[in-house]
Amino acid sequence: MHKVWAVIRREFIERVRSKWFLVATVLGPVFMITVAVLPSLLATRGGKVSNIAIATSAGGSLADRIRTSLSRSSRFNVELVTAAEDQMLGVTDSLASLVRSEALDGYLALTGATIDAGTAEYRGRNVSSLRDMAILEAAVRQGVVVERLNRRGVDPSVVQEAQARINLRTQRISKKGPGGESGEATFFLGYGVGLVLYMTILLYGINVMRSVIEEKQTRIIEVLVSSLRPFQLMMGKVVGVGAVGLFQFGIWTAVGYLFMHNRVAILTRFHVPADAISAFQPPAISGELLGVTIAYFLLGYLLYSALFAVVGASVNTESEAQQAQQPVMMLLVFSLIFSFSAMTDPTGSLARTLSLVPFSAPIIMPVRVATSDVLRSQIALSLGITLASSVLVVWGAARVYRIGILMYGKRPSIKELIRWARQS
Amino acid sequence: MSDSVLEVRGISKRFAGHVAVTDLSLRVPKGAVYGLLGPNGAGKTTSIRMIMNITIPDEGTVRLFGDDLGGRHHSARIGYLPEERGLYKKMKVRDMLVFLAEAKGVARSRAARKADEWLARLGLAEWGLRKVEELSKGMQQKVQFIGTMLHEPELLILDEPFAGLDPINAQVLKDIIVQLARAGTTIIFSTHQMEVAEKICDHVCIIARGRKVLDGGLAEVKREHGGTHVAVAFEDAALAGQAMRAISDLVASADDSGMSAELRLVEGADPQEVLKRLMQLQVRLRRFERIEPSLHRIFLDKAGPGAIDAERQEVAHA
Repeated sequence: MHKVWAVIRREFIERVRSKWFLVATVLGPVFMITVAVLPSLLATRGGKVSNIAIATSAGGSLADRIRTSLSRSSRFNVELVTAAEDQMLGVTDSLASLVRSEALDGYLALTGATIDAGTAEYRGRNVSSLRDMAILEAAVRQGVVVERLNRRGVDPSVVQEAQARINLRTQRISKKGPGGESGEATFFLGYGVGLVLYMTILLYGINVMRSVIEEKQTRIIEVLVSSLRPFQLMMGKVVGVGAVGLFQFGIWTAVGYLFMHNRVAILTRFHVPADAISAFQPPAISGELLGVTIAYFLLGYLLYSALFAVVGASVNTESEAQQAQQPVMMLLVFSLIFSFSAMTDPTGSLARTLSLVPFSAPIIMPVRVATSDVLRSQIALSLGITLASSVLVVWGAARVYRIGILMYGKRPSIKELIRWARQS
Repeated sequence: MSDSVLEVRGISKRFAGHVAVTDLSLRVPKGAVYGLLGPNGAGKTTSIRMIMNITIPDEGTVRLFGDDLGGRHHSARIGYLPEERGLYKKMKVRDMLVFLAEAKGVARSRAARKADEWLARLGLAEWGLRKVEELSKGMQQKVQFIGTMLHEPELLILDEPFAGLDPINAQVLKDIIVQLARAGTTIIFSTHQMEVAEKICDHVCIIARGRKVLDGGLAEVKREHGGTHVAVAFEDAALAGQAMRAISDLVASADDSGMSAELRLVEGADPQEVLKRLMQLQVRLRRFERIEPSLHRIFLDKAGPGAIDAERQEVAHA
């Protein structure tokens, strides 16, 4: 036991002392926040005001209405071009050449069919901006609806009333009754939990792999196995590196907690306006979620680091490992991909099944817990399956590791790896 | 036997496609300096790995300190220097040494004290807090030796300890080995450098092509090799060739180095007769001495190209 402690301590201390640990600890949250916030930031802020023209042969009132509502969005600068039905082709052609010469960003063509059949055409250089297109479509739809109602002689004040904007507020109801968090916050929480687990399991799994390769490459492994059983060595390594992960989690949690508690003071110091501070409501992280996340980090890390140890033991160099690690990486990447579907449908059969499969459970189950209420019995079952599988995988991995660490030369095939595991 | 530190009985190891070691038996008495000698590829490293229980023999048994629990069980009593050297490059020298000793079961504080002692002894005191990768190759080798001996083992197993050492470090290592041997440590080392083995070993085992060729105490081995051996050294290279031809009917085999030669005489030949013929030729001699065969000579006779031919003929006749 004393010997295993020596291995654990070495792995822990050498890592925590390194620059790598400092960088990962500081940059990890920065990266996470960037990944979480940047897309929505870009989506809302991105783009500039588009200059477009509306060419219409359907009469002025529809085009006017559309122009008014587009201008209200303050994302469009609209110019009106009225034309007779038979001149439309020529008009749109000249507008198209303006778009090509970048004098215009796009044009909307309205014809008689727009009101009758609901068809309109927009051509421009910015058609892939989903938000802009949604605004445009809504404006056209609204304009057409009003126009049609007007034709049927509906009272304009009734039309006005019918157009009431709806603001749907979403709120999650959990076991404790309606919680404070909105649907959006729940989604981001699930997203964050999945991403953190994916990244930490991957990061520390690869650390174990690198450590195995280093010992193999420097040939220090032969001295080590003359003193320690390969299993002791592998477990010491896995536990030592895992402890670094927990330590890092601890730092992040503590810093996050302190920040949340003192956020008003901190944000005020950075001159963030008061209304922005009160708008910044962090998602509530329950004790259950924290516990489940840590438990699955440990199990997932155990499972994957054992697999990564096998990869390390079966290769000679880091560059060989790049290729050999692909199958293990795939398992993790698939889990992350499926975690998105688990976020949108946390109680669906796909999410339920994948939260019982040992290789995906460490990511999917915590995501489900973050986004919905999962029965305790289901969590217990999933934990049990994952734990049992982890123990099994560690056992098999240790048997392959034992032989692989002393093998140099040609990379073994999967078949050979299985034979090693069977050898007594 | 209670006074043997290591007893190997009939170990064999086959790898895919070739046999590395066949039916090797040897016994290392307590306190011996035991040389495992053989050309490259003879099976020395495989044998040592089997002794250390790193490679499992296909057949045969290895008994260390009188039992068969294996090298790892006794690791606290054994210091092992593998053929392929290696250290953690990013670790500080002192931390590295303490870790290696801890892996052998030495308490941390004691390991730290011992590490400082050894670093000072080998003139590396001011390097203890540097990273291993900052050290020169020679210094790294010294650190590796310290790692092997830090826990004060009763048995040292060194695989090619002199390979790749510059003369100064080779001397440092040789001095350490002699000191430890005097203090009662049993030392097993492999080498293909016969001159070194001859100087420091009291027991040898020569293996070639995976088989033991001979073993025993150094004096005994020399005595049993038999024959009459003479060393001659000439003053004049021009006459040396003429002289060698003049005595060729009395010489069974010769290790001719030009200005000097080690001769094995034919059965029944008198060294006096050799000297007489050389005097008749009026060759000026720097040396003429009746000697014991050198380990190098024995090694060549037993494991050299001539021995291989003889073995082939035997096989052909059989």
